[in-house]
Amino acid sequence: MTRSQYTRTEDMTARFEELLQQVRLLNALGYDSFAKGNHYSSDPFYEFQQLPLLCRLMADAPDMRLIAGIVLLALHKPLEIAEYFATMDVMSGGNLVFGAALGYRDVEYKAFDIKKGTGVKRFEQNLEAIRRLWTGERVNMKGDYFELDNASVSMPCVQNPHPPIWIGANADVAVDRAARIGDAWYISAHHRKDTLYRQVEFYKRCLEKYKKPYPTEWPLRREVYIADSREAAIDAVRPYLGLKYSTYHAWGQSGPMPQGDTLGLEFDDLLQNRFIFGNANEVAEEIIDYCRLLGTNNFITSCQWPGMPHTMVMENIEMFAKDVIPKVRQGL
Amino acid sequence: MDMQFGVMLRGLFDWDDDMKVRFNELMEQARLIDKLGYDCITKGSHFSTYPHQEMTQIPFLCRIMSEAPNVRLNAGIVLLALHNPMEVADYFATMDLMSGGRMIFGCALGYREVEYKAFGVEKGTGVTRFEENLEAVRRLWTDEKVSMKGTTFELDEARISVPLQQDPHPPIWIGANADVAIKRAARLGDCWYLNPHQKVETLLRQMDLYREELEKHKKPFPKELPIRREVFCAPTHDEAVELAAPYIKGMYDAYKTWGQDKAMPAEDRDITQEYAELARDRFIVGDPDEVAEEYVRYNKELGVNHIIMSVQGVGMPQGQVLDTLSLVAEEVMPKVRAA
Repeated sequence: MTRSQYTRTEDMTARFEELLQQVRLLNALGYDSFAKGNHYSSDPFYEFQQLPLLCRLMADAPDMRLIAGIVLLALHKPLEIAEYFATMDVMSGGNLVFGAALGYRDVEYKAFDIKKGTGVKRFEQNLEAIRRLWTGERVNMKGDYFELDNASVSMPCVQNPHPPIWIGANADVAVDRAARIGDAWYISAHHRKDTLYRQVEFYKRCLEKYKKPYPTEWPLRREVYIADSREAAIDAVRPYLGLKYSTYHAWGQSGPMPQGDTLGLEFDDLLQNRFIFGNANEVAEEIIDYCRLLGTNNFITSCQWPGMPHTMVMENIEMFAKDVIPKVRQGL
Repeated sequence: MDMQFGVMLRGLFDWDDDMKVRFNELMEQARLIDKLGYDCITKGSHFSTYPHQEMTQIPFLCRIMSEAPNVRLNAGIVLLALHNPMEVADYFATMDLMSGGRMIFGCALGYREVEYKAFGVEKGTGVTRFEENLEAVRRLWTDEKVSMKGTTFELDEARISVPLQQDPHPPIWIGANADVAIKRAARLGDCWYLNPHQKVETLLRQMDLYREELEKHKKPFPKELPIRREVFCAPTHDEAVELAAPYIKGMYDAYKTWGQDKAMPAEDRDITQEYAELARDRFIVGDPDEVAEEYVRYNKELGVNHIIMSVQGVGMPQGQVLDTLSLVAEEVMPKVRAA
C-alpha cells in the first residue's frame, strides 16, 4: 500500500518523486498490486488524493493491479464513481480493484453534506447504482440522493462483469454487509488477530446465510516492517507508525472498530497482535500463519508512515520481495 | 503573452468501439502534441455519454501527464455545479502537484438534465451551487483552514490535502455561452473561456459586455484569453472542406440532442442549420495559410491569445488526426507567431 501520508512540513514535490521511485521498484520486483486509501482534509497530514494518484502511478507500474482501497462511497455520487473507475479500468488494461467502505469522519461527512444517519443507505444505494451502471447499457434508478434517468457510463469496464468489489468493514454489522453486497471483505490493517479469527468465522456464516460462495480472492492488509529483530523493527517505526495511529484515533477511527477494541492505546500495547514486525523469517512465518488461519490469498503490506524516510521504505520493499515473499510461497 | 496553441482531446467514440485501442491512440496523440511544441492539452467533461464513449476528464488528464511532460493540462471544463468543492479542490491540488504546476482549472455550469439528475442537483439551484462551490474551492486552495457553510456542504476547519504548486492557484477559466453567464465569468473568473459554438459576430458583441463587466468589478482585462474552436486543416482548401463536412454534422446532431443549443444566445440557437451556413465564422476550415489567417484574425478582433483546437470528430481515423496535428504545428504555428 502506497499510503502517501506525510507531515505538513515536508516538501511534497520531492515526496511525489520518491513515490514514483517506490512504485517503479514495486513493479520491477514483481509485486502484484499497489493500493491507495482515501481521506479528505487529512489534517495534520498531507496526502495525495487517491483517484488522481492511482491514475498517474499506473503509468509507472504497467504490470501491477491498482487497488482503490478504499473509496469513501457514502460521500460520492454513483455516476461519477462508476465513470471514473470504468475509465481507470480501461486505461489500466483491466487491472483495477474497486474497494469501498463507509467512512466515519465528521469533517468529511459535513463537507459532502451527508447526515450521519444516512451513510449506510447512501452507501448501499450508491453501490447498487454503480454495479448496474457497470453491467447495463442504460440505467433507470431513483435513489434518495440521485436519479439515473436512462443514464449510462462513458464506457464499459474491461473486466467482465466489472472490477472486483472489495468492501472494507470493521464492526460485525459491516462484515455482514460486506458478505451480502461485496465480492470480498477487505480486512483492514488495524484489526487485532484474535478479533479476526472470530470475525472470519462470522463472515463465513454470513456468506452461507446469503448463499454466496467463498470469495476466490480474499485480501488482508497489515502494517509490516522488517529489521534484524522484532525490537529493532519496533524502534525503527515507532515515531512514524505511532503518529499515524494516534491521529486515526483522534479522527474517530476507534468508533467503528469491532466491539472491545480501540486504537486509543499506548504504542506498545497497540502493536500487540496487530502489526507484523521482526526479521524476514519471523515476518514470513506470521504471514503464513494469517493466510492459513484466515484463508487470505492476497496480502497487502503497508511499510510507510508519516515522516518516515524514503530510504527506509525502499529497503523494506526490497527486503520483503527478496527475503519474505519466496518463504511465504514455499510455506503455503 | 505570446499566442498559445492548444489541442482539445475530445475523443468521442461510437458505443461499440474498442476503448483500449482508442485510449492508446489518444496517448499517441498526447505524446505527439507534446513533441511538436504545442502549449496545452484540454479535456472536457460529460457524464452519461451514450451513444458515445469518452474518457472521463480527471482520470485521463492524470494518466497523460507522464506522456506529455511539457504541456499545460486544461480541465476545460469541470461541471462545477455537479460536484462537491472539497473533492474538486483536493483532486486539482494533487494534479497540480503531480504535474509540476501545469494545471488549468476550467469550470462551467453544465446544462444536461441526465447529469443534473444523476448528481442530485435541482435545475434551479445550479447557479447557487456553482458560485458557492467556486468560492469554496478558491478558499481551500488559498487559506490554511476553511470554515464555510454552503447550501449543500459545510467546511468545518477543512484543509486541502497537498499544497498548490501554482501561486496562488491554477488559473480559473470560466466557460460561458449566454450573456448572463459571461457577466458571471467576468465577476468570478481569472478569464472567460470563449466557447467553440458561437459565431465571431456574437462573440464580438459579448466581448463588449465582458469588458464592461470587468470594468464594473474593477478587474483588469485578463493576460490570457482562451477560445476553443473546431479546426479542420488540410494541405489544400478543398481537402479541408471535404475533411470537415461529415464530422461537423455528426457532432452537432449529438449536441442538439443533448440540449446544448438551449444554453446558447437566441440568435445562435439553431445549430442544426445546413453545414455551409453553420461552418461560416464558427469553425476554422482551410489550408495552413487560411487557418493561420483565421488565428490571427481571432487574435486581432477578439483579443484571444490561446486558441484551443479540436481536430478529432467522431469516427475520424487516427492517421488523419496525427496528420492535422503535424500540419498545424509545422505550417500554421510559425505563420501565426510571425504575424
